[in-house]
Amino acid sequence: MRRTLLLAAVIITALLLQTTVFAELNLLGAKPELLYLVTIVFAILEGPASGAIAGFAGGMAQDFLLDAPKGITALTLTLLGYAMGMARQYIVTPSPILPVFLVAGGTFAGVVFHGVVSFLLGELDTSWLYLFRVALLSALYNAILTPLVYPILRRAAEGSRSRRVLRW
Amino acid sequence: MALRSRARSTRLLVVTLVSISLVTITVDYRQGDDGPLSALGDAALTVISPLQDAVSTFTHPIGNFFSTLFRLPSIRRENETLRDRVAALEQEVATTAADLDRLAELEALLGLQASLGRRAETTAAQVIANGVSNFEWTITIDKGSADGVEEDMPVIANAGLVGHVLQVGPSSSVIRLIIDPDSFVAGRLDASRATGLLSGEGGADLRMGLVESTVEVALDERVVTSGYRIQGVAQSLYPPNILIGTVSRVLPEESALETFVTVRPAVDFSTLDLVLVVLSSDGGA
Repeated sequence: MRRTLLLAAVIITALLLQTTVFAELNLLGAKPELLYLVTIVFAILEGPASGAIAGFAGGMAQDFLLDAPKGITALTLTLLGYAMGMARQYIVTPSPILPVFLVAGGTFAGVVFHGVVSFLLGELDTSWLYLFRVALLSALYNAILTPLVYPILRRAAEGSRSRRVLRW
Repeated sequence: MALRSRARSTRLLVVTLVSISLVTITVDYRQGDDGPLSALGDAALTVISPLQDAVSTFTHPIGNFFSTLFRLPSIRRENETLRDRVAALEQEVATTAADLDRLAELEALLGLQASLGRRAETTAAQVIANGVSNFEWTITIDKGSADGVEEDMPVIANAGLVGHVLQVGPSSSVIRLIIDPDSFVAGRLDASRATGLLSGEGGADLRMGLVESTVEVALDERVVTSGYRIQGVAQSLYPPNILIGTVSRVLPEESALETFVTVRPAVDFSTLDLVLVVLSSDGGA
């Protein structure tokens, strides 16, 4: 229950920030993708199931709020959350900057996937070069934001987790 | 064991979520902008937009600040472009205003030329320099012998008499103004028809002498050129009936024989721009 509330709070906060602060913060033609960032961080912290749920919820929320083809972001983020959660399980490294790399790679892959799906649906009318550029820049911005967001979400997630459940 | 079943349930969850997403995509794709999903989206937007407003109020300046920071180079370029543009436009405005002034002056000169008589030939000239000396009141114009200008030709402006040609170059001429102390103009009081001789006083008003003491001179009376002509002997430089100025002061009699009058020139010599050189006139009607 607490985790559902936490998830909702995080997603709404991310959405609000995404549509206000970061909507204006358009650097070199791209902006950070906060929902991607939050999904990946959740997946890293909580595993593939939580990652998929967070991604699905965040993606749906974003799809319905922004005037975009609905479902594409949800699909992307569901898969992204799951994939990142799985990836995290197989990577064994104590490196504290692992989340940064996962976020960067995940965001890039996610944005490109989103672009491909949009393209298949005939909703994308930019060049591939532009898509890759946006994906790279979004990945970079998200990676920069990770050291800020990751500790906050980790603390929140740990606070909301019931003590008896072992961490993955 | 527990781990495996957990993995399976996770996979099931993901498949379910992906399926829902795909259904959503399909439904939305088929329904376009009119379907219930769109309505749902609009509803969500209605709920969240007040929140967005509230957040924006706080974060707008911050976001602005950062995007401004990153766009500084382009803003600077834009600034330069705009400055250039402003300079160009200001230049244009100034030119336009000057052109309008010029037009008005030319129109006035045209009227003046018509008043000189049908046979009068004139040429318009631009004042290109003022006199260099403190003791000579002259101007230089951009017309010279190539344009038919000769010495002693009268020069007028739209307001009235300016002076006469003192010196002619190939493409420029020096004009002695009527306010030059060496300039003498035969003038006539408009109302009383009495004649006199106007001499320049430099910066001060013209001085009109040789007016008979019996003549009643009124203030603000107009003084025009008299344009005398003694056949074969002498002829005034100036065509008749060109406005010189208005009486500004009637001096106390210095002798019983003549009255001294000061005349304020009609032409403002400090702002002279376009003048008309009278090449030939019919010498007085």
